[in-house]
Amino acid sequence: MTDATTTLEQDDARAQPSVKAADIAANPPQRALRLHRELDEVWSDLPGWRGFFTSVNHGTIGLRFMATAFVFFAIGGVLAMLIRAQLATRNGVFLDNDLYSQIFTMHGSIMMFLFAIPLLEGLALWLLPKILGARDMAFPRLSALGYFCYLFGGTVIVLSLLFGAAPDGGWFMYVPLTDKTYSPGVNADVWLLGVTFVEISAMAAAVEITVTILRCRAANMPLTRMPLMGWYLLGTSVMMLVGFPPLILGSILLEVQRAFDWPFFDVGRGGSPMLWQHLFWLFGHPEVYIIFLPAAGALSTIIPVLSRTKILGYGALVAAVIGLVFLSFGLWVHHMFTVGIPHMALAFFSAASALVAVPTAVQIFAWIGTMWEGRVQFRLPMLYIMGFFATFVMGGLTGVMLAMVPFNWQAHDTHFVVAHLHYVLIGGFVFPMLAAVAYWMPLICGRWRVRGLGEAAFWLIFIGFHGTFFIMHLTGLVGMPRRVGVYPDNPEWEWLNLISSIFGMIQSAGFALFAFDVIMQWMFGRRSWRNPWQAPTLEWAMPLPAPSYNFASLPGPRQPDAGSILPLARGEGLLPGAPRGWRETVVVEPGTGRPQHVAVLASNTALPVATSAAIGSFFAMMLAGFYWVAPLGILATLIVAWKWGAIMGTDRDHPPADVAPGIRLPLHWQVRNTLAYTGAVALLVADATLFASLLFGVGFLAVVAPNWPAPESGIATWPMLAVSLGALAAMALGTVASRLAEQRRADPSLRVWTRLGLISTGAGLVLLGVIGVWLDDPTRHARDALRGATLGFAVVHGVIALMLALRADLDARTGRISAERRGAVPVWQLFQLFWLGTSAVSLALILVQEVL
Amino acid sequence: MVWLLRALAGPVLWAALFSLVYALHGTGCGLGWTDRPVLFTDLHHIAMWVAWLAGLALHVVLVLTMPVGSGRARTVTAAGAWIGLVASVFTLFPVVVTSTCF
Repeated sequence: MTDATTTLEQDDARAQPSVKAADIAANPPQRALRLHRELDEVWSDLPGWRGFFTSVNHGTIGLRFMATAFVFFAIGGVLAMLIRAQLATRNGVFLDNDLYSQIFTMHGSIMMFLFAIPLLEGLALWLLPKILGARDMAFPRLSALGYFCYLFGGTVIVLSLLFGAAPDGGWFMYVPLTDKTYSPGVNADVWLLGVTFVEISAMAAAVEITVTILRCRAANMPLTRMPLMGWYLLGTSVMMLVGFPPLILGSILLEVQRAFDWPFFDVGRGGSPMLWQHLFWLFGHPEVYIIFLPAAGALSTIIPVLSRTKILGYGALVAAVIGLVFLSFGLWVHHMFTVGIPHMALAFFSAASALVAVPTAVQIFAWIGTMWEGRVQFRLPMLYIMGFFATFVMGGLTGVMLAMVPFNWQAHDTHFVVAHLHYVLIGGFVFPMLAAVAYWMPLICGRWRVRGLGEAAFWLIFIGFHGTFFIMHLTGLVGMPRRVGVYPDNPEWEWLNLISSIFGMIQSAGFALFAFDVIMQWMFGRRSWRNPWQAPTLEWAMPLPAPSYNFASLPGPRQPDAGSILPLARGEGLLPGAPRGWRETVVVEPGTGRPQHVAVLASNTALPVATSAAIGSFFAMMLAGFYWVAPLGILATLIVAWKWGAIMGTDRDHPPADVAPGIRLPLHWQVRNTLAYTGAVALLVADATLFASLLFGVGFLAVVAPNWPAPESGIATWPMLAVSLGALAAMALGTVASRLAEQRRADPSLRVWTRLGLISTGAGLVLLGVIGVWLDDPTRHARDALRGATLGFAVVHGVIALMLALRADLDARTGRISAERRGAVPVWQLFQLFWLGTSAVSLALILVQEVL
Repeated sequence: MVWLLRALAGPVLWAALFSLVYALHGTGCGLGWTDRPVLFTDLHHIAMWVAWLAGLALHVVLVLTMPVGSGRARTVTAAGAWIGLVASVFTLFPVVVTSTCF
C-alpha cells in the first residue's frame, strides 16, 4: 500500500467503502477450463451475421472501430495520392477545380473524423477494460451505438464522392464559402449532417471512456497507480466531452442557417462568419491533443517495456497530461491570427500556444530518460517510436514558430502549415498508433508477425513521409498557398511538388505493406506465446488471443499485474465466473478504487443498430431536404430510446453477489451511484459545454458583429415574462417532485410525486411552446435566431426530462421502484435540474437584452 | 475524487480566469471602455488588471493549500496548482504590456 493510496483513502472517506483497502482475500482456485466455458457462453457474440448486428462486447466493437478506421484511412490515403498526382506538375489536368476541392476537403475530413478519432476510440474501447482489469466498458450498448453511427455516417460521407456531391469547402468549412449563397448544393450539408452524425459516436465514446476509467478499474487500484494509458485516455475523453460540443453546435447552427435561413453567420443580419471560426477552432485545436494524448499513452506504455525498465517521472507525466488538457483549450485563436484580432488578444493566444510546448517537452524528456535508463530493444514497435521522435519533435518546433504572430502572418495558409500539421499528426498520432498495432497485435490475434515485412514497411513510410513533407516546408516558405490545384505562373514550385509527389507514392507503398503485414500476421503468423513482450500491465494477464470476457476472475490487490495470469484464470481473483448467467463486472470508487457494487452489463442486442438507424433516418431526411418530415426521425429515435429504458431495471430485489471471501456487494439496481448516474453527469458536462458555447455565441455577436443593435423586439415583455416565469415554476416543481420521488420511494405517495413531476414537466414544455409562438421571426436578425436556438435547447432538454419523468412514473406503477431500487429517478433529477438551470440562465439573458 | 479535484483546481482557475479576461477584453472593446479614463489609465485596463490580479491571488492560495498527502499524490496536486499559476501569469501578462483594441 503506497502513501498515495493512503492519502486518497483519507480524502475519500465519504465514499461509503464496502471493502477495506488491500484486504481482499483470494477466492479458492477452480478448474480454469470450467470457468472459461461458463464465461464464454455468457460473453461471446452470436454466431454469423447476427453477431455483426447484435454484438456489444468491447473486444468486438473496439476491433471493428479500428478496422473500419483503417479502411477509411486507406480511402483518405488514395485521395492524398490523387492530390499529389495533381500537384506534381504545374498545369496538372488530372483533376478539375471542383473535383480537386472535393478531394482535398474529403482527404482532411476523412483523416480527422473517420480515421483519427475513431481509431483512438477503437483502441480505447478494445484496450481499456483489459489494461484496467475489467470485463467490459461501462456501457456496452453505447459502444455498439457509436460504432453504427460512425459506420453509417462515414459511409454516407464517402459515398457522396461517387455522386459528385462531396463537401468542397475545406475541412474546416469556413463561412460564407459554405453558406447557401456560395454552396447551393448539398455538398456542405453532407459534411455538416454527416460529421454531426459521426460525432455521436465520439460523444458516446467520451462518456464511456470517462466512466470506465473512473469506475471500472481493478479492485483497490487508486488513480495514482493506474497505468499511464488510463490517465492519457481520461484526459482524452474529458477533452472530447468539452471539445466536441462547440463543433456540434456550430454544425447545427450552420445547417439551420442553410435549411431555414436563420442568420447566425450572415453579416447583413447581425451574424458573423467569425463565430463559425471560433466554434470550429474551439473544437479544432483541442482536437490535435485529443488525437495526440492516446498516442502518447501508447508511447508511455510501450517505451518502458521495450526499454526493460519502468517509466521515468510518472507524476510529472500525469501533471503534463493535466497541463495539456487545459492549456490546449487556450490556443484556438492561433488559427485565426490573420483575421484582424487586436494585439492583446493575439498576445494571449500566442503566449498560450508557446506555453503548451512545455508539458509536451516534459513528456518527450521523460520518454528519452526512460530509454536512457533502460536497455532499448529495437523491435518493430520501437522503430515506429523512433520515427515518432524524429517527426513529432520537428512538428512541435514548427508549431512554436507558427505560434509567433509575425511568422504566422507570413506562413499562414501556405504549404508550410500543411507540412507542419502533417508532421504533428502523422508524427504524433500515426507513428505511435502503428507502434501500438505492432505491440498489441499478438493480444488481438494470438499470432506473431512475419519477420522482415514490418521493418520494410516502416522504412518506406519513414523515408516516404519525410521526403514528402520536409521539403513541403520550403514549398510554403517560397509562397505556395494551400488548396491550389494548378500553378501555371510559378514554375519555381514545380520541382518541390514533384519531389513531394514521388515520396508520397513511396509512403503509400509503405502503408500498403504495413496493411499486408498485419493481414499476414492475422492469417498466417505462428502462435504467439503468452505475454511476448514481458510487459507488466494487466492486459497481458490473459490467454492469447484475449477471450471475450477478458478475465475469468477480476484482478485485485493480490493479482496486480501480468504475472497473475494463472491465479486469475483459476478464479482466485474477484467475482469468478458467471454464476448468475449475466455479464458482470465490479464497479469501484473513483479515487481509491475500492469495490462498491457489481454492475450487470448488457448482453447481445440489436437495439444499438436500430437506434442508430432511427437517428440516421433523421439525418437522411434533413440531407434530402425533407425538413418537415424529418421530425419523424426524431420520433423514431424517441421510440427506440424508450426501449433502452424498458429493458433496464428490475422488478425484484436481488441478493448481493459473492465477490471474494467475506465480501458481498449489491448489484447495481440496488445502489444510487451507478455507472449510469456517473455517465449522466459526464453527459451533462458535455451538454453544459454546448450551452456555454451558445452563450458565447450570443455574447460574441452582440459585442463584435456589425449591424447591431438588433431591430426593435416585437415581444410583449410583460406577458412573455409571466409565461417564462410560469415555465420556470413548472420546471422547479418537476425538480422538487423528482427529488421527493426518490426520498419517498418506499412510500405509497411515490406515485403522486412521479405523476406530479410528469405533469409539471409537461406543463413546462407547453409553456415553452407558447414562448416559441411569441418569439420574433428568427430569420429577421441573428439575435432573434439565437433566441430561437436557445429556446430549442430548452425544448430538447424538456423532452428528455419528460421521457425520464414518464419512465419514473411507469416504473413506480409497475413495481420497479422500491426501498432498495431507484430506477431512473436519480438521472431524472439530474436532467430536471439541468433543464431548470439552463432555462433560467437563458431567460435572464433575454431579459437583460430587452432591458439594455 | 476530492484528491482529483485538488489536482485540477489550479488549471480550472486558469481556464476561468483566461475566459474572464478574454471576455472583458472583447466586451471592453465593444463598449468603448478605453474611452473612459480611470485614475492614470482607462476602465478597460483597470477591469482586466483587477481580474488578473485577483485571479493570481487566488492561484497563490491554491498553491499553498491544494497539495496534500505525500509521494505521487502530493506531486500531482502540487503540480496542478503550479500549472495554473504559471499559466495565468504567462498567458495573461499581455494585459500589462500591449495595447488593448488595436
